[in-house]
Amino acid sequence: MAQEKTYIEDIERTLYDIKNVDKSKYKSQSGLTEDIIRDISARKNDPDWMLEFRLKSLEVYNQLSLPNWGPDLSELNMDEIVTYVQPDAKMTGSWDEVPEDIKDTFDRLGIPEAEQTSLAGVGAQYDSEVVYHSIQEDLVKQGVIYTDMETALHEHEEIVRDHFMKLVPPKDHKFAALHGAVWSGGSFVYVPEGVHVEIPLQSYFRLNAAGAGQFEHTLIIVEKNASLHFIEGCSAPKYNVTNLHAGCVELFVNDGARLRYSTIENWSRNMMNLNTKRAVVGKDGVIEWVSGSFGSHVSMLYPCSVLKGENAKCEFTGVTFASKGQNLDTGASVIHCAPHTSANISTRTISKAGGKATYRSAVKVTKNAPYAKCSVNCESLMLDDISRSDTLPTMDIEGDEADIGHEATIGRISDEAIFYLMSRGISEDEARSMIVRGFVEPIAKELPLEYAVEMNNLVNIELEGTMG
Amino acid sequence: MNKEIFSEIPMRTWNWLGVNEAVVDRDLLVESQNLDIKIEAGHQEKMLVEYRKESCGTVNINIGENAVLKLTQLQLMPQNCNHVNEINVVLEKKAKLQLVAVETGAKSFASKVNIILKGDKSQADVSLLYFGDGDRSLDMNYVLEFQGRKTVGNLEVYGGLMGESQKIFRGTLDFKQGAKQAKGYEKENVVVLSSGVRNRSVPIMLSGEDDVVGNHAVSSGKINEDKLHYLMSRGLSPAEARKLVLEAAFNPVLELIDDEALRQEIDSYIKERLENE
Repeated sequence: MAQEKTYIEDIERTLYDIKNVDKSKYKSQSGLTEDIIRDISARKNDPDWMLEFRLKSLEVYNQLSLPNWGPDLSELNMDEIVTYVQPDAKMTGSWDEVPEDIKDTFDRLGIPEAEQTSLAGVGAQYDSEVVYHSIQEDLVKQGVIYTDMETALHEHEEIVRDHFMKLVPPKDHKFAALHGAVWSGGSFVYVPEGVHVEIPLQSYFRLNAAGAGQFEHTLIIVEKNASLHFIEGCSAPKYNVTNLHAGCVELFVNDGARLRYSTIENWSRNMMNLNTKRAVVGKDGVIEWVSGSFGSHVSMLYPCSVLKGENAKCEFTGVTFASKGQNLDTGASVIHCAPHTSANISTRTISKAGGKATYRSAVKVTKNAPYAKCSVNCESLMLDDISRSDTLPTMDIEGDEADIGHEATIGRISDEAIFYLMSRGISEDEARSMIVRGFVEPIAKELPLEYAVEMNNLVNIELEGTMG
Repeated sequence: MNKEIFSEIPMRTWNWLGVNEAVVDRDLLVESQNLDIKIEAGHQEKMLVEYRKESCGTVNINIGENAVLKLTQLQLMPQNCNHVNEINVVLEKKAKLQLVAVETGAKSFASKVNIILKGDKSQADVSLLYFGDGDRSLDMNYVLEFQGRKTVGNLEVYGGLMGESQKIFRGTLDFKQGAKQAKGYEKENVVVLSSGVRNRSVPIMLSGEDDVVGNHAVSSGKINEDKLHYLMSRGLSPAEARKLVLEAAFNPVLELIDDEALRQEIDSYIKERLENE
């Protein structure tokens, strides 16, 4: 039966859209030049090798072209992007010392409250710098390090030097090179051998300045037989100029270790989100990704897991919700490099109101990975006929001992399901909402309760834009 | 040697995967044998296209309203030749196509199939069998484009790979806006018989229409050991057991070939390859 639909504009994403007056202490000039990079490096008091690294990355950036696949990035003009915005705040371990307007922002986002109730440590970045960092004392006593990247670069220089952009080298792609040149802020986590961090750590990244870029670097090392749950959140108010996020996440999961990396990404609709995330997993290690992509104008995000040690495992659970004006190109990649490695990728994508959701994945099984197993499942839901949903998985398998399966479906909410729920006294709108919440439930259940609630709220915000 | 892009996937992906396009020798394309066919409205036809020595062939078909075509294309080129082939089909209202394709020959080949389900209620059922051995290279790019309402497209692919053969299969279901109540289904089952094989699959689903049902599935693995052990416990040699399991895997396509002699020829060819491995 044909379904008539009307559309209304999305409701305001008030919580995320409140802007603070730009009180930055310093802003670099817009654009990307050697002088700007030298200036950023000097202000950060980088060691010489880091300045050299930044300058080499700039060279690579200038040599590389934009990708010839994926969403159109022609709107991005680097000459108009301010790559470094220093907030008028010093990094502190007390919220009382954070300037009022910045503290209010994180209050509204619920970060201090979550810190009290459900987190073992918090990092809060505002524009280009981390303004707050804390970690529970008992973790410090066990040797856990959780600090901002700049502090780590000075206090744990050798560890940083051994790992920084080793998993995601600047030559990887143009925006990795850009990141290498202008990175600022981000988190450093080190979990010593055998230590289990029972309560999650969270870093939250807030970009307030219009026309700016955020280039935080997250480096996590989980030593042998240790474990960690790390949560990353990000948001920005909406401006009518393009903002850019080109962060980089490098995760080192050593033998027998386990790392869960959860993200709820809710950038504003003027954001180009060109983020790179990669994990390498040792023998018997486990990487678990939980990824929710709701915001941004354009996203290209494909967390990659390199299963390097025998019996290493990857679990990827992702949901992407693309609405009006959004082109969200998301997915995952897994590279099996050792025997008996296994991966399970499960994603849900939803598109509505002219939004475009693309699921893109790559599964590579090398000759060195006999008995590799990989299962990929992708389900796409379209809520109207002006949106797009595309699925583009690739499997590249060498050898005869791998067991690989892929399944994907695409479609809309069935009229039968709506009618069934309506026959039980539920309104049509609520029936649709229930079905969509059920659709993303496999992802929601992987999140800590308060983040599952946030994700459901985001889904509800999106759905309020559609009247069935 | 001059190279040319012969086919591309409708939506590009990471270049490092090497699946975005099929590049072939330009010389191959120069000697193309072309065939343009129109199946008149209401007619029912059967066609057989065999490639045994042609380096390149293109078949363009328009299937009129309510017309039905069964097209069988067999690529049985000698093992020392390179080859490309192309099929383009447009289906008008309520037209039906059954395409049975077998790609077992040539040292290196590229094939592309574009099927446009233009008319409402048109239907295409595509069955493909490929087999690679030695150091052969197999490259296939199949696209089913759903334009009309209530169109149906099925793409079933059965493959076997051994030796050091390399294969890329790209299968796309492309639902255009307005293709309401279209249904598309794609599956690829690959049996891998040797450790030197490289097997790439790209099952793409594109949709600009919500009122559709699309599914695709790919499975890749070696022959089920339990089946082999069972057959060997009944007195079959390992080679005979593998042949029998592979025959069963390919049967959904082989049984669609009307000519018994051709069916036997393909069957014998695959058996011979298995014995020589």
